[in-house]
Amino acid sequence: MIKGFYAAASAMIARLNQQKYLSHNIANLNTPGFKGVLTSLEEYLRVSAVQPQAAAQSSSRLELLGELGLGVETTLELTDFSQGTLKSTGQPLDLAVEGEGFFRVETPAGERFTRDGRFMVNAEGEVVTVDGHYLLDQNNQRITLEEGEIRVDHRGEIFVDGASQAVLELAVFEDPEESLVRDQANLFEASGGLSDQEPGSIQQGYLEMSNIDPAEVMTEMAKVARTYEAAQKMVQSQDELLGKAISSLGRF
Amino acid sequence: MGSLHQIFHINRGGMLSLLQGLDAVSHNLANLNTVGFKGSRSNFQEMLTHQLHGGSQIRSTQRLHSQGRLRETGNGLDAAIFGEGYYVIQLPDGRTGYTRDGQFFLNSEQQIVTSDGNRLEWQGTIPADAEDVHINPDGTVMVKQAEIWSQAGTIQLAVFPNPQGLIAHGRNLYLESEVSGEAQLGSPNVGPYGQLIGGSVEEANVDIAEEMSSLITMQRSFEMSLRSFQQTDRMMSQIINVRRA
Repeated sequence: MIKGFYAAASAMIARLNQQKYLSHNIANLNTPGFKGVLTSLEEYLRVSAVQPQAAAQSSSRLELLGELGLGVETTLELTDFSQGTLKSTGQPLDLAVEGEGFFRVETPAGERFTRDGRFMVNAEGEVVTVDGHYLLDQNNQRITLEEGEIRVDHRGEIFVDGASQAVLELAVFEDPEESLVRDQANLFEASGGLSDQEPGSIQQGYLEMSNIDPAEVMTEMAKVARTYEAAQKMVQSQDELLGKAISSLGRF
Repeated sequence: MGSLHQIFHINRGGMLSLLQGLDAVSHNLANLNTVGFKGSRSNFQEMLTHQLHGGSQIRSTQRLHSQGRLRETGNGLDAAIFGEGYYVIQLPDGRTGYTRDGQFFLNSEQQIVTSDGNRLEWQGTIPADAEDVHINPDGTVMVKQAEIWSQAGTIQLAVFPNPQGLIAHGRNLYLESEVSGEAQLGSPNVGPYGQLIGGSVEEANVDIAEEMSSLITMQRSFEMSLRSFQQTDRMMSQIINVRRA
């Protein structure tokens, strides 16, 4: 009986976690390059359910009834890396990747990867993200731009007034879900898994928007609300059953 | 309860940043007809510290320096900048301001001033008997006296290494900052300074369709954050009432 109590409680906790991820996704509907947090659940441990054989028979034998689930838990955080829609902004340093590639940026904590293509020039002429991290070129160097008209071609070569300044090299991962971990704002940390597949093309003057689908998030949220309610009811009835068992079994 | 409070925090942060984003949209829309105005956008950014989800925040408000459309006014003292330059303006407190607003007037002392009465810095004087004024693309100011055009002086423009770092001073004026770098003065029509288009003004670079669509998306996103907040609240209430009295 206690098992059922915990299973129901685990469902409540799992739904709260889902609600947290959904809230985070909703809050980032307007964050360019944002990749949604997936809210999948995993069944918790299963145990064998057994029943002691009738008292008349040998007391040491147990009868196997089958398997009993002990509830659910949220899985390790997974990210939905699907492509977001591109939005035209007309800004020279707004870059969007159409394909699998990630921009490589230098942060105080080391190299990180992002799909957020909002870049700007700082006082020293270096190309930085909105958080001030440095965009890296193919030689792992920061990019410094002269003043003038900036043009970025599809392969990531940056020109100022027609003169080549730097070439971007996007990182591609065999299995981003496996090797990338959400680290800081809109940045992912990689644990190997680089591949030499085609990184896709770079679009200047566009931004890749958040890949969150409002309709999907809202239906997910409705589902969370209902299953949470159901789990809460389950906890309540388990509680009542437990109460009854204690009070009536104890009476003689 | 830690987790529940975290969710509230995410929802609250989302709503707060959207309100700030709506402020920026309102400001852009309010200045749709302000000559030389540069719109700005809110850079929403994910909040994530030590892999703890925190929703979103506005990381910066970025001024967009794209060229505005030119509109002909026929006023001799109007000149739109087609390029990256800024007019140099003398502020009353002695500081130097910079503007893209090319609507000028003559004050009682025959000085060229902005609509706020601040003096434009240029080399030359407008004679008292001038009948008409025209500004050439290269910055020379021509005046007409007794049916004859003659050169009265030249206007120089300023450019900055990083114009996005200019500090908005209000009333269409910008101030130099450490981030923008020092102003470099030069004559229009060469290099990055751009041409002066006499008899025209530069309209605000705000795209009304773009602003309206931002307005709608932000409003809807706000509603969604609010829904999520309400739902979290309900979940909290259910957990409190799990034990029936």
